[in-house]
Amino acid sequence: MDETSKWNGQEGADTALSEDDAQKGKYMTFKSGNEYFGLGIQYVEQIIQFQSITAIPETEDYIKGLINLRGKVIPVVDVRLRFKQEPFEYNDRTCIIVINVKTMTVGLIVEQIAEVVEIREENILPPPSIGRGDRAHQNKYVYGIGKVGDTVKLLLDPDKLLNDEDLSAMEQASEMNLEGNER
Amino acid sequence: MAEEFNTDSMLDMYLFENTQLLEQLQETVLEQKDADCFDEDSINEIFRTMHTIKGSSGIMMFDNITAVSHKLEDVFYYLRESHPDNVSHVELVEHVLEVEDFISNEMEKIRNGDTPDGDASELISELDKFLNTLKNGAVQEGEEPPPENVHTAPTQFYIAPVATSASHFYKIFITFFPETEMANVHAYKAVYALKEIAEDILYSPEDILTDEKSGEAIVKDGFKILLQAQSSEDEVRELIGVGYDIEKVDVFECKAEEFLRGFDFGEVAGAPLAKIDLESSVDEIEARTQESNSEEKKPEKPAIAPGDFVIQSREPGKQKKLAKDKPKAEKASFISVNVSKMDQLMDLIGELVISESVVLQSSDLKVPGLNLDNFNKAAVQLAKISTDLQNVIMSMRMVPLANTFQKMNRIVFDVSRKLGKDIEFVMIGEQTEVDKNIIEHISDPLMHMVRNAVDHGIETNEERRECGKIGKGKVTLAARTEAGKVWISVEDNGTGLNREKLLAKARKQGLLDENKPDSAYTDKEVYQFITLPGFSTNEQVTEYSGRGVGMDVVVQNIQAIGGTLEIESEPGLGSIMTLKIPLTLAIIDGIVMEIGNTCFVMETGAVKQFIRVKENMMIHEPNGEEYVMIRGECFPVIRLGKWYGLAEYEESVENGVMLILEVDDRKVCLLVDRLIGNQEIVVKPIPSYIKKVKGLSGCTQLGDGSIALILDAAGLVE
Repeated sequence: MDETSKWNGQEGADTALSEDDAQKGKYMTFKSGNEYFGLGIQYVEQIIQFQSITAIPETEDYIKGLINLRGKVIPVVDVRLRFKQEPFEYNDRTCIIVINVKTMTVGLIVEQIAEVVEIREENILPPPSIGRGDRAHQNKYVYGIGKVGDTVKLLLDPDKLLNDEDLSAMEQASEMNLEGNER
Repeated sequence: MAEEFNTDSMLDMYLFENTQLLEQLQETVLEQKDADCFDEDSINEIFRTMHTIKGSSGIMMFDNITAVSHKLEDVFYYLRESHPDNVSHVELVEHVLEVEDFISNEMEKIRNGDTPDGDASELISELDKFLNTLKNGAVQEGEEPPPENVHTAPTQFYIAPVATSASHFYKIFITFFPETEMANVHAYKAVYALKEIAEDILYSPEDILTDEKSGEAIVKDGFKILLQAQSSEDEVRELIGVGYDIEKVDVFECKAEEFLRGFDFGEVAGAPLAKIDLESSVDEIEARTQESNSEEKKPEKPAIAPGDFVIQSREPGKQKKLAKDKPKAEKASFISVNVSKMDQLMDLIGELVISESVVLQSSDLKVPGLNLDNFNKAAVQLAKISTDLQNVIMSMRMVPLANTFQKMNRIVFDVSRKLGKDIEFVMIGEQTEVDKNIIEHISDPLMHMVRNAVDHGIETNEERRECGKIGKGKVTLAARTEAGKVWISVEDNGTGLNREKLLAKARKQGLLDENKPDSAYTDKEVYQFITLPGFSTNEQVTEYSGRGVGMDVVVQNIQAIGGTLEIESEPGLGSIMTLKIPLTLAIIDGIVMEIGNTCFVMETGAVKQFIRVKENMMIHEPNGEEYVMIRGECFPVIRLGKWYGLAEYEESVENGVMLILEVDDRKVCLLVDRLIGNQEIVVKPIPSYIKKVKGLSGCTQLGDGSIALILDAAGLVE
């Protein structure tokens, strides 16, 4: 709970207050691998259909390249590759979530868009912290686990998602799942 | 929150406006730095500028700026009102520039979010001293007592009708034909025309518009005007004009004292009167009778008498240029637009062009049997408009070099004064337009070059005399557009570069090949040495140059924007350094090519030729490096597909195309799959999220909306 409020305070400061209120507690969820992830809706600019990507050589494999978003060139990141999951074939259902983080606009390629859900702060659990070294803790891009009914969504910190050192999300996710289920 | 925002925008406005004012101020000052004194216009302009800055700084509560501008305003107030003769113009120019520097500095601090904390007291005391010298000097000369209306008390500044010593005083006497009707209206027409130039005007009878009977009086007695203006007698006559109902216009120039006496035409003794008598004895007699009447009619006259202004006579030799003589520059109106909005507009137009091509090439139109005549007509029109739009947005980004050149003017002035060199600075082609972002990049390099020219290039006055050079040292800054590039040259008529000295220094620093004799190096090669880091032949390090940093920075900065530096020199006669820079960074002429399914663009200028090669022309090194022999020349080969690890690229050289690239005399061959075409492309940066990739300098969108990567020839050659 503490984490969330702090996080909102830092990142949402530049969006207008009224908008913030309306968007508070709402999360865009999408499926990647077997997990559902959630992203604070205030970061989401729009969702577009998959379009052809111009690859850029000599970059990390999860940076798929550039797309032309109505005159604006933005980089796109394959979320599955970012989480070190197996790559997947892009198809009609593949979407790009365009997010704004600070001054950057980045597209996230996700397998399947789910829905927008509301998760109240009391239903968000801090991530578990067993079995990890200090450094790993700083790099977490899953900052919390949201409970929606009997499912859980892994809530992402987009800033860390884009900028941090590689870290296997699956490792994190599975551990959290374990702990989350135990609770 | 909202209030804070308001202050911010006010601050922006404050900075923007005052920056412009200061630039203008500097321009004015430098324009007249060589004159004996400022002309009336400039004094007024500087006064007003300082007044404005003082006012706005006061509102923003920047006390030190307020104080300094106030002091300078005082000085110019004194100059404007009292015309002291003992002004040391050079000193004055320096004071103005110092103040300008101080304020610019403070504003820079404000811009960076710091508090403007510069100490103005020294500057102020200097200005005080200067002002005192001016005032005391005037007293000591004993000719002119200090004028009593100089307000040294700070707050009273009114911008009064400008009474200047360059003014002339006229008595004008208009006689109408006896049968003229509504002579009062005609008389008013004349007054109205004169008001344009008048600094002070009085006429009699006064009530010409309200009193219809005055018409009769005017016909009978004539119409008299007392005029104070800067215009010549002929101009005055021209303004009044000679209508069919005006019988005669007499214009007499008179002295200020006579002017002050008002309509006492008759009491003016001596020559002017005699002249009047000779020319129009009848009228004059009438006028004399009239004058007593007019005195009686206008008891309120002293209140508006021209004596309100203290006018001091000037030496006739120092007659200044009249304001009227100056061709008034056509005032262009500008608005300032946020650059991000311009970029947005450009993006939108790019989008428009793409959607246009999507519509026009829509597959729905390809159905056979459709009659598309009207559609095609409309399509052509649409295409024309969108092309125009693109051109306009590009031209909006272009700004003249004039401001940059003015800065150089200042540098020449400062440096030459400090070094005691007498230098003339000439600017040519400052109206040449260059993209805004290019201007930002060339300002510093130009500054180095101009400084070098003044410091190293031009000899001291004594040296020039010894060499038998006639005339001042001269630095010419010229700009022109040629072959799609802007050429900016800095030329001086100084010593020129010393080939022997350069070679000796290069040898000392181990830059030369030991086995090669000095003569084997061309002049061009030798001059290039000065662009190397740490290479300065100036034995003495001066305040401005000689440390050997500078020229290498110049070259780096210029290369960063795709420009080149050329050096020409004639020993003893001077040297010319020419920058060739692209007009814009935003649009380049590029060759689009394809490798696998990725599109790349290469700037056309870097491509020497295209060539198809046979397998037998290839040379394979055991370590994997490849070369190709083309007409007896051997080039290293880069297979772009392999280099970037792309998928599905052509393996065989025979199926692909070779591009021979040349950058700075280094050549390399680039193997690509297919050429697509040559087109103008809009350069966009690669998003910062992606870290720099070697050999890529940006990206662009092609006509179909897909993205192509722009190759950087210099990066590939390395």
